[in-house]
Amino acid sequence: MNAAAAAVQLLGGLVLAPLLPGLVQHWKARLQGRRGPAPLQPFRELRRLWGKSTVEVEGAGVVYRAAPAVAAAALATAVLLVPVCAGAPRLGAGHDVLALAGLLALARFAVAASSWDTGNGFSLMGASRDLTISVFVEAGLVLAITVPALVAGSTDLAAMIGATAGTHVWSSPALALAGAGFAAVVVAETGRQPVDNPDTHLELTMIHEGPLLEYAGRDLAYLQWAAAVRHWLVLVLAAQLFLPHPVSAWWQLATLPLVLAGLCAVLALLETLVVKTRILLVPRLVAVAAGLALLGVVSWVAGGAL
Amino acid sequence: MPALLLGAGLAALACGGVLAAARRSFAVGVQAQAAGAAAVAAAGFWAFAEQSTAGAAFTSAFEPRFGLDGLSGFFLGTLGVVATPALVFSRRYLASTGRGRTVAVLQAAFVLALAAVLCARDPLTFLAGWELMTLVPAMVILVARAADRAARRTVFVYLAITHLGGAGTWIAVLLLANAGAFGGGGGVATGSALQLGIAAAALIGMGTKAGLMPFHVWLPRAHPMAPAPVSALMSGVMIKVAVYGLVRILVDWLGILPVWFGVVVLALGALSAVGGVLYALFQHDLKRLLALHSIENVGIIVLGLGACLVLRGRTADAWAALALAAALLHTLNHAVFKALLFLGAGTFEKAAGALELDRLGGLLRRLPWSGAAFLVGALAIAGLPPLNGFASEWLTLQALLHVPAYGGVADGTAGAIALAALAATAALAVFCFVKVVGLVLLGRPRTAAAEAAAEAPVSSRAAVAFLAAACVVLGLIPGLVVRTLVGLAPWAGAPAVGAGLALPGTGSLPTAGIAVALAVCTAALVAARGGRRAASEPTWACGQLVEPALGWTSAGFTKPLRLVLEAVLRPEREIAVQTAGGVVQEISYRGRVPHLIDERLYRPAVAMSLAAAAGARRLQSGSLAAYVGYLIALVLVLLAAARVGVIG
Repeated sequence: MNAAAAAVQLLGGLVLAPLLPGLVQHWKARLQGRRGPAPLQPFRELRRLWGKSTVEVEGAGVVYRAAPAVAAAALATAVLLVPVCAGAPRLGAGHDVLALAGLLALARFAVAASSWDTGNGFSLMGASRDLTISVFVEAGLVLAITVPALVAGSTDLAAMIGATAGTHVWSSPALALAGAGFAAVVVAETGRQPVDNPDTHLELTMIHEGPLLEYAGRDLAYLQWAAAVRHWLVLVLAAQLFLPHPVSAWWQLATLPLVLAGLCAVLALLETLVVKTRILLVPRLVAVAAGLALLGVVSWVAGGAL
Repeated sequence: MPALLLGAGLAALACGGVLAAARRSFAVGVQAQAAGAAAVAAAGFWAFAEQSTAGAAFTSAFEPRFGLDGLSGFFLGTLGVVATPALVFSRRYLASTGRGRTVAVLQAAFVLALAAVLCARDPLTFLAGWELMTLVPAMVILVARAADRAARRTVFVYLAITHLGGAGTWIAVLLLANAGAFGGGGGVATGSALQLGIAAAALIGMGTKAGLMPFHVWLPRAHPMAPAPVSALMSGVMIKVAVYGLVRILVDWLGILPVWFGVVVLALGALSAVGGVLYALFQHDLKRLLALHSIENVGIIVLGLGACLVLRGRTADAWAALALAAALLHTLNHAVFKALLFLGAGTFEKAAGALELDRLGGLLRRLPWSGAAFLVGALAIAGLPPLNGFASEWLTLQALLHVPAYGGVADGTAGAIALAALAATAALAVFCFVKVVGLVLLGRPRTAAAEAAAEAPVSSRAAVAFLAAACVVLGLIPGLVVRTLVGLAPWAGAPAVGAGLALPGTGSLPTAGIAVALAVCTAALVAARGGRRAASEPTWACGQLVEPALGWTSAGFTKPLRLVLEAVLRPEREIAVQTAGGVVQEISYRGRVPHLIDERLYRPAVAMSLAAAAGARRLQSGSLAAYVGYLIALVLVLLAAARVGVIG
């Protein structure tokens, strides 16, 4: 069991993660009546980038050079930290959900600092927008995960997955409200519509893509991989904490790929149906989601333990 | 033994203070001060680790007594850890001119006053040390600034606010002494009006000194005015001594406070945390920005304290002890990284001649040692793993998360809101320090002075390097400190803590494991990328020539958030367009984010007091007849009162 869970966690998080944005892009194209790229397209892109040389920006220094590696390392450590099923083994980084928030912030800091090092206006524009939204996303994330943490009586992710399994927790509206709050966190962290448009080629509208503008080659490969891993992390949390999942750890492992694919389909549908929100209205959207999650906490505390 | 070492350290500080007064022995004197501070640090942490007591016990009698115990030891250790590098730094930072030497003498007096408060065991010594601790930095500011207009005004505001609010400290301490409860001992009944009165007075009095919102207005004015080493001591230690007072009174001496009082403390903490960092974000002067961050961090400490009070009221003793440990751990951590950042700011001010964020830039390349240390401090204050700020913010978040777990609906909701506030604070701190690091250390120099900046002398570099190392070490093994900190709680039931932060009810934070994973992954990825890179090109600006005028500013980077929070912050902007003959000659832009508490709360209060004073002045007409009239009126009123039976 332990070995299987660790294998799924590492293989899925570190190797197969680029499949998730690939699936979204693929299905989105289908929904829009285009043939679109195959789901494996992100892997091809990573291979292409791996063969190219990186670029140097005049006046930039060590922070610009180290940022992609630091961001990717933070996300890789986060993969070690997020278990895929109840009772998954610890891989040296603990299982704490609040530590996950810290690692995501480290990646954000590294990328935003790199934009200051190059001084590129478009990069800084994206970085400052990303950081603005992150203020609300972080509050929403912490409020949303408070509910499963209260259910489990612990912030241990493996314990939280176990405690939210089955159907009995759904007799209280708390988890549903927290799930609604977490949905906004998923959209914001993955950089998808209505928060951000991953397909844009217009620098003026970029958020997450902006700070990547000055990178090429393996540096860019690291950053694109990190973005794919971010999909993996938040979608695994969504599937195993905020959606109904089976009690048995084996069944949790078995259903995970299906649920992840389903969530990718939902993201693709969302990207097709919903247009991008005005940037200044995004925080309002995320704040409303955080308010829902707060309602979830209140309803749980008011309802007492089940 | 720790007491002897402490005595030796304080004696060395006093001798160093005297020696620094003379030109010939200035350097020796400052070094003696630093050695004394190091001894204070060693003695403090020694007493803390052993949880030993020495010297007198607390007494409510007005007889000077000094003593040492675990909590005093922890704060003395914090004082020493900040004071040692700050004093080493000051040797080259302060010129050995008359003014510099006076500051050197005063800084030794400042450290001694702080130690006096921490070692005081009776109300008299405590209050005397408390007042000295307030007055000495005021003197330093006046001396260092040659008592210019700005300095006089700042010192006036500082003394006025800290004394108006500080009355709360006197009331709390004297009431405690009157009840025979200075030092605890159950003289104050749980739930009595006396208990609540003392708690409220202490919260206002010491909250003012700690820079808690809305009593904070003096802090962002006074801290940036002082020379860098004294700023480091003020932000690193002085406001923490107020936290020491709060811990003593609220947690230790008053027994169990009602849960709603804990919620009030949580609310003040959340307000300070979010408010402090929000105004710091829109601040464009490095030292003022750092001072506002002190308000934020005091807010985080007070959030831990509030969680402790609520959890104690809900008899969740294990987590109450951990919440207290979170507050104290953040106290130590903030002292270390804030001192580091203030000393770094002092270095940059000397090297580039400016503290305005938009007039620095590219200093990481020109000052590799000081710049790298400053970068570590910025990562630590932004609460990023694997540094120390992350560990204590994580522990505070955990403590707040256990408030809804053990609390009722009202305090549980308050805990959840505080949790969200702390999460938003952490994200805002990341935003703010990305800005600071970017504008100060990265990119190209923005002025000729920044271009010509040179690395600081060895002693200054050693001071910041020591503090940066402390940030890393405290981030790797916070559990060792927390293990002893939970023992400081005056109630039983403290949980066992591992060297990483392995706690029951959490997913555990193996700080060293995360650090190793991060380091190994980063190294592997850097190695895998290899060194192959294309020749350097200017950055992409849509084909435009890249010139300094295109560079982003502090105000520009934070503009999205300013627009989003317009309804709350009420920023001001003014655009003036000058035209001549239909042709635009000049466009000037001025924008600022006014501090709402200053504008809406203090300004009307000041205006009203001035108006009241003007009204009262009319009584003092100077004419003899009027004064005789007042006397007759007074006698008549007294007679009438006696007649009615109110007096006599």
